[in-house]
Amino acid sequence: MTFAVEINGRSRSVSIERAAPGRFRVTVDGRAHDVDAVRIGTWGLSLLLDGAHAISRDVQVAPAGGTGELLIRLDGRTVPAVVNGNRSGHSASEPGSHAQGAQSVVAPMPGRVVRVLVAPGDNVTARQGVVVIEAMKMENELRAPKPGRVKDVAVEAGASVEAGRVLVVIE
Amino acid sequence: MKILIANRGEIAVRIIRACREMGLPTVAVYSDCDRDARHVREADQAFHIGASEAVKSYLRIDAVVDAAKRAGADAVHPGYGFLAENAAFARACADAGLTFIGPSADAIALMGSKTAAREAAIKAGVPVVPGTERPLDERVGVEEIARMADSIGYPLVVKAVAGGGGKGMRAVDDRASLPAAIRSARSEAGSAFGDTTIYLERRLHRPRHIEIQLLGDRHGTVVPFVERECSIQRRHQKVVEESPSIAVTPELRRRIASAAAAVARAVSYSNAGTIEFLLDENGAFYFLEMNTRLQVEHPVTEMVTSMDLVHWQIRIARGEKLTIDPERALTPQGHAIECRIYAEDPDEGFLPSPGMIRGLRPAAGPGVRDDGGVSVGYTVPVFYDSMIAKLVAWGETRDHAVRRMSRALREYEVLGIQTTIPFFVWLMRQPEYVEGRYDTTYLDTLLASRNGKSFSEVTGEDEELASIAAALDTYLRSRPAFPPSPTPRRTPVASAEAGHGPATAGAGARGPAGGLSWKELGRREALRG
Repeated sequence: MTFAVEINGRSRSVSIERAAPGRFRVTVDGRAHDVDAVRIGTWGLSLLLDGAHAISRDVQVAPAGGTGELLIRLDGRTVPAVVNGNRSGHSASEPGSHAQGAQSVVAPMPGRVVRVLVAPGDNVTARQGVVVIEAMKMENELRAPKPGRVKDVAVEAGASVEAGRVLVVIE
Repeated sequence: MKILIANRGEIAVRIIRACREMGLPTVAVYSDCDRDARHVREADQAFHIGASEAVKSYLRIDAVVDAAKRAGADAVHPGYGFLAENAAFARACADAGLTFIGPSADAIALMGSKTAAREAAIKAGVPVVPGTERPLDERVGVEEIARMADSIGYPLVVKAVAGGGGKGMRAVDDRASLPAAIRSARSEAGSAFGDTTIYLERRLHRPRHIEIQLLGDRHGTVVPFVERECSIQRRHQKVVEESPSIAVTPELRRRIASAAAAVARAVSYSNAGTIEFLLDENGAFYFLEMNTRLQVEHPVTEMVTSMDLVHWQIRIARGEKLTIDPERALTPQGHAIECRIYAEDPDEGFLPSPGMIRGLRPAAGPGVRDDGGVSVGYTVPVFYDSMIAKLVAWGETRDHAVRRMSRALREYEVLGIQTTIPFFVWLMRQPEYVEGRYDTTYLDTLLASRNGKSFSEVTGEDEELASIAAALDTYLRSRPAFPPSPTPRRTPVASAEAGHGPATAGAGARGPAGGLSWKELGRREALRG
């Protein structure tokens, strides 16, 4: 079986072939690896890589929201990955990104709107603060994902919002 | 002595552990969303005290005192945060015949006002950071405050009089940004402490945050401890603490410690408290404030002095005399570092990341201490502070402690939510941190310069490994014969696929009644009820 795995903006083609019980031939963009894989608990995988070298790596693979979205944990670091699909929800929000069309700033968690920093018609730069939400006893400034013009402000100060609620639309 | 813990999360668990060790029964309190929280499960009794919002539960003096009465508790430990520095709560406990495990209500009231605390420090002969003499409530206008600011001089800090934990605090570089800083400091302080009063303080040039833990008994003895260094702060909130400080010589330690003890004696302080100082580049130190409670970062002191501060809090509250050797309290053995693990996504500007903990394996091994407050299956709520655990590493030297912390962070697994662990892994590799060359401005400056780059620094090889793991995991979960979850430990995946050997054992372990284990059945029953 072949999977398209996207990590840090780069897609890799990963094909998996079962070679023997617990052993797999995994090919990543043409590079072949012999992988000995053992499940550890619900999310863990213990991998011994590359045959005689028997490189041991302990990895956890946990679901992260949308279909095919995974969080890979290795050695204290977390790497988001998407298998066979486009990332839904969080679109590219890199600084200086020039994604086309309208984009929404949504509440990443439930909370209370403390301040709205923009009004419809305002021009904003990428990463400019647009709304301040209080959650977990801290004020969190939510920022514009891209430069543009504020098309709509959907909340006002004092409002309680659920996760995923659209707060500001930028075009 | 039965003790009610008027708190939640890791500190409630920490206090329950101390009580267990001392053979004392414990009572937990909980809000709606905390029924399945760890502190409830580990206490001997647990009482519901209200809705999830803190003001409707953990901040309700009447509800907490009522729970203590219903439980027949003798004493109340407030932990930190919530009601810990609320003089009215300490008084309400005393009125209800409960021993408050902390200082007197008067000491809390006095030191809780930052402006009154500054006066107490001045009277004790301890230097304070220059600032406004009186508290500035809502009636004092921006123009008037701006004039005071001019006489103190910029840069300065706007601070909530009732503040703590970095809340209600704003740095101001010039007059133009003062009004916005006053507004947001008041707003945050109002929602965090119910008090919008502020004051101004001059901002020292690149100071270090040094604090002295102390214990005072009810017989007039005050013992100061070796300092903690808490200069690694994000938005005025401590994220890493250590003891001792690389910037403090034994001679300076004695001077700061005796200044701290002088302030504590001046207010007849008893139980655990901490006096915070700023230390400038020339070794001059200034009183900042006093925290009249156990601190979040108390474990680093415990690690380098081999003393248990919570045990002592309880013993002091029982009227015992402090028998600690003051020399030992001031002489660090080795070095300890603490990282506060928050449910926040460091790669999204440290936004809160509440949600269900799907997997948890705290770090362990030599010199490592995990003060955790959550468990698998628990949903980290949005209503409270986002700290889920404190990881502490001890080493023979500072270098040893840094390496040990790095090792422990790599072991620490939290699945289901984002945490600040990847950020700490990154921080422990920064040359300035490793060499101890930092001050309170270091982290914010460094973070701003990174412009949102991910803290999970991965090589091409790591990415390839992650892609293999992602594909293998998807592949294995797509196999119908592969048990979805939970799977028994160390089941070779291919055997599971083949449907024999360990896989059979796995299927057997899933028990009767259509493949559900007893545990799952039990859980379903509980949910139904």
